[in-house]
Amino acid sequence: MHVLMMSMYAAMAAVVLATVDPKSDTPRQRVIHGLKIFGSFLGIGLLLSWVLFPIPW
Amino acid sequence: MQTRDTLTDNIPPHFSDRALPFNQPTPFPLARRTVALIASWLVPGAGHLALGRYGRALLFFVTIVGAFVLGLSLHGHLYWPTVAEPGSTFHYDLITVLWFFAEIGSGLCYIASYVLGLGMTPIPQAAASPTFEYGNTFMFLAGLLNYLVIHDAFDIAAGRKN
Repeated sequence: MHVLMMSMYAAMAAVVLATVDPKSDTPRQRVIHGLKIFGSFLGIGLLLSWVLFPIPW
Repeated sequence: MQTRDTLTDNIPPHFSDRALPFNQPTPFPLARRTVALIASWLVPGAGHLALGRYGRALLFFVTIVGAFVLGLSLHGHLYWPTVAEPGSTFHYDLITVLWFFAEIGSGLCYIASYVLGLGMTPIPQAAASPTFEYGNTFMFLAGLLNYLVIHDAFDIAAGRKN
């Protein structure tokens, strides 16, 4: 459930952020940029959860 | 036979200074710009629709309204600035002001939900759920992303980008 919600959040944010990006001129560049954003969200989210997991509060 | 290049080269100097480069974005009239901005805030993607960017309009509408509806279905809460406790530095509770600012960005989604009374009453079972905060987070996301979309519509309308 948590990973699904995080993935949906990352996907929605990536779609909009990649579309409004002024540096991407072609649809291909936007797709690549969106995938990078999506991957960054997921990667950083998983990393943070792994780092914070041992903390008891 | 004249080619496009030949025609371009033959533009007199006093016209060539005023000629726009190929594919250069042009600003929209002020009235259409204003309509696009207001529409963009009220309905995510409507500003782009008014500017003729149909693909972007659909994408933004589906994404942002989808995020807001998902947030509501996860028992997200509609926030309004509340008065801080006596003795506090600020008159309003700043965190509720921030949350309100994030949610009001989604325009009619927020207003319609407020009028219909959706997301107004806290549900104890939902608050006890480990995923309770997801609803709020998706509603914040919808509003904040729509601010970016409004900015994008403004840039297109002002002729700063295609």
